[in-house]
Amino acid sequence: MSLSAIPARWRVLAPFLAAAVLLAAAGAFQAALWPRIGRAPGEELLYFPSGLFARQASIGYETAAADVAWLRGIQYYGEHRLTDQKYVRIGHVMSVVTDLDPRFLAPYVFGAFVLAQELHRPDDGLALLEKGRRANPDSWLLAFETGFLHYVCRHDYESASRYFVRAARLPGHPEYVDRFAAFASQRAGNRGMAVLLWKRVLATGNQYMQEVARRELARLDAEERAR
Amino acid sequence: MNRVVAIARNTLREVARERVALILALFGAGLVGVSLVVSPLALGEGRKVVTDFGLAGASALATLLAIVLGSSLLHKELDRRTILAVMAKPIRRSEFLLGKYAGLWTSAAALLAGMVAITVALLAATSRDVPWEASGALLLSMAELLIVTAVVIFFSSFTTPLLTAFFCASTLLAGHFAEDLHYFGTHGASPLLAAATEAVYWLLPHLEVFNARGLVVHGEAVGPERLAFAGAYAALYAGALLAAGAAIFERRDFR
Repeated sequence: MSLSAIPARWRVLAPFLAAAVLLAAAGAFQAALWPRIGRAPGEELLYFPSGLFARQASIGYETAAADVAWLRGIQYYGEHRLTDQKYVRIGHVMSVVTDLDPRFLAPYVFGAFVLAQELHRPDDGLALLEKGRRANPDSWLLAFETGFLHYVCRHDYESASRYFVRAARLPGHPEYVDRFAAFASQRAGNRGMAVLLWKRVLATGNQYMQEVARRELARLDAEERAR
Repeated sequence: MNRVVAIARNTLREVARERVALILALFGAGLVGVSLVVSPLALGEGRKVVTDFGLAGASALATLLAIVLGSSLLHKELDRRTILAVMAKPIRRSEFLLGKYAGLWTSAAALLAGMVAITVALLAATSRDVPWEASGALLLSMAELLIVTAVVIFFSSFTTPLLTAFFCASTLLAGHFAEDLHYFGTHGASPLLAAATEAVYWLLPHLEVFNARGLVVHGEAVGPERLAFAGAYAALYAGALLAAGAAIFERRDFR
């Protein structure tokens, strides 16, 4: 059959129809096979660049690039929280975010919290907070979070007290920081102090941190009842 | 001066015909969409994310508009021979070039201001707090556009639209790496390479001068000294490029 036998209207529509059919086929092909082939375990975020490279590649848009990396990091954490609860790359992602935008405080706090609480690597969490405090020496929040990790994860009450006092001396701190600074040295190792700290996370942390705080409060409550 | 203004007005009309308003509408819709989708996912950092994306998107789109529209601005006049009709009037080639530059900068700056206004309005509506600091970032980006449009006009005064776009993108990219280039060139390189790097460093536009988005997203205002310095640097650099561009354009054969 020659092309001229096809009505003109169909000849115009045919390429668009072919494009739609091919696009639908590509989508169906991916939906059917990708879940089976997929990425190898641990492959996700392997491509994540180093902070220095990401900073160079962002050509003046570092803070927007930091936001993209932050969103990707949260997505990674959320996915693994629902599945295997392994967050091996979270430290690297938060390090990249903070290399891109050293003044963005949330990644230091959240990254350190996950490293210390979920991966049981409090020293790595404290190192991330230390990096944050070097870049933001006036941040009461980072000093307070450092005290928090020393208290609840390392049970180093002397260091915790030192950082709470330091946070209370920095500008812009809320009233509760003064209270923790006053109580920390008196109530070192006290269960009530740990409960107060976790209740503070419940009141001020993000949704994931609040979930961990609920879990920790329930654990402390169970320990108390068992006595 | 009136002749320059007339050419600038005409350029503005020409750019407006390219449906710049559509870019603004798409930007606004895109930003609203991003803020709706991203804010709940950002774990309390939605405002920062929207500010970042709004300011970065505005700056990138205005730069892109200046390069894409600007690179063919002079070429169209030459291609359609309309420049011959303009040159038949008592107008110097340098005035024609300056008018094109003023029109292109005004178009790109107006688009930039519109996009920043959309970002500020969205932030004010969602958090009931007007981020006035954004005005500092806007002024610096406008100053940066003085250089971007001057680079576009300079290259388009002697080469084709495609090469103009390529040279502009390369210059702007290198402009963001000027400090790094200087650092690597002066640390451990041979004296000859160090001297060459030093020369390239002073030749390139130092575009990091105009990047205060990092300050603004963290709620800090841009100081008046920085604004004054950036404005003066942009005026001097753009002036140098326009002078060179005008000198080349004076000698260009229109046939």
